[in-house]
Amino acid sequence: MQTQPRAKWWTRLGDWLDERFDVRIPLEAFLNKPVPKHAIKWYFCLGGITFALFVIQGVTGILLSLYYRPTPEGAYDSILFIMNNVRFGWLIRSVHAWSAKLMIAMCIAHMLRVFITGSYKKPRELNWVAGTFLLLLTLGFGFTGYLLPWDQKALWGSTVGSEILGAIPVVGDALLGLLRGGPDVTGLTLTRFYGAHMLILPALIFIFLGAHFVIIRRQGISGPL
Amino acid sequence: MGESVNRAQDEGAGQPLDRRGFFKYVLVGFSAAATAAGVATPVVAYLWPPKQAAGAGGGRVAVAAAADLPVGKGVVFSVNNKPVLVIHTEDGYHALSATCTHLGCIVFWAEQKKVIACPCHAAFFTTNGDVISGPAPAPLPVYQVKVEGDQIYVEGGQA
Repeated sequence: MQTQPRAKWWTRLGDWLDERFDVRIPLEAFLNKPVPKHAIKWYFCLGGITFALFVIQGVTGILLSLYYRPTPEGAYDSILFIMNNVRFGWLIRSVHAWSAKLMIAMCIAHMLRVFITGSYKKPRELNWVAGTFLLLLTLGFGFTGYLLPWDQKALWGSTVGSEILGAIPVVGDALLGLLRGGPDVTGLTLTRFYGAHMLILPALIFIFLGAHFVIIRRQGISGPL
Repeated sequence: MGESVNRAQDEGAGQPLDRRGFFKYVLVGFSAAATAAGVATPVVAYLWPPKQAAGAGGGRVAVAAAADLPVGKGVVFSVNNKPVLVIHTEDGYHALSATCTHLGCIVFWAEQKKVIACPCHAAFFTTNGDVISGPAPAPLPVYQVKVEGDQIYVEGGQA
């Protein structure tokens, strides 16, 4: 006769894993960290919102990559195909475009909060620096992603935007050529921006996001004003 | 003085650099630098804009057959990797840099209005490159253009 009801299945699964990996205590220490009272405000959520948008960008971006073609001949047609033929393609692409804009806005809002509450001060200077790199990477995502639809707005937007680099004295033309893959915005620029958008920038942003989060957990969030 | 001597010893972890240590630094340093250069050189060179097939010599370039550019038309060609707009009007051929002097968009020949137009911020130019209106701060540089036989030639250097 059973005196005690059997534990729920997820508790037993947890026990089973803990028996093998001995992971419950460190995991609980990591996850059950209380948020200080002064930080339970909506404006302390802006960084988390930025990260949530980043996750959305990752998921929708991976989905878009299954149909997008990074060639001058195929890019715009593949965008039309996503928008008109793929089921919910319009939704996936529009969510990607909108949360890109929102991610930049939330990034800046998060920085403003950190600035106003003075949270960048010692000992958190390096996390401010990591955050600044994250802003630059986010803007880099926006800039490279803007060219990929390969429509008139994309082409001329990228032409004007990259032209700014050419204004740097002495090395400007070389840097502009390096960015565009030639003197003009062409198919070479498209594949370059595609590679940066899909592989280089994601690799970099994971490094800086990891640093950003490890540092915040190590130092805790800043005290009340 | 005694203090500065102590500090110098501390920085060298208490040991002066001997011959063996010196060669260790040089060899390790050289190996590291050579490896880094060996990896970085092909990567940077790979990223450097590749050479385009069509002439980058700077000489004159045959851009099109005269028959392909009737009166009233204007087309952008690549001349030594730079975009050049060639226009055929009643008073002959004109060739100009197609890179807008405002922010670098590629201008086009607006057939109806008979002006050169920039698609980005509505700068307008005459067939001589002079600014009619819009934000362009300078005229479009003019190229020499000639028709010999049935070919249109553009001189590589600006006139």
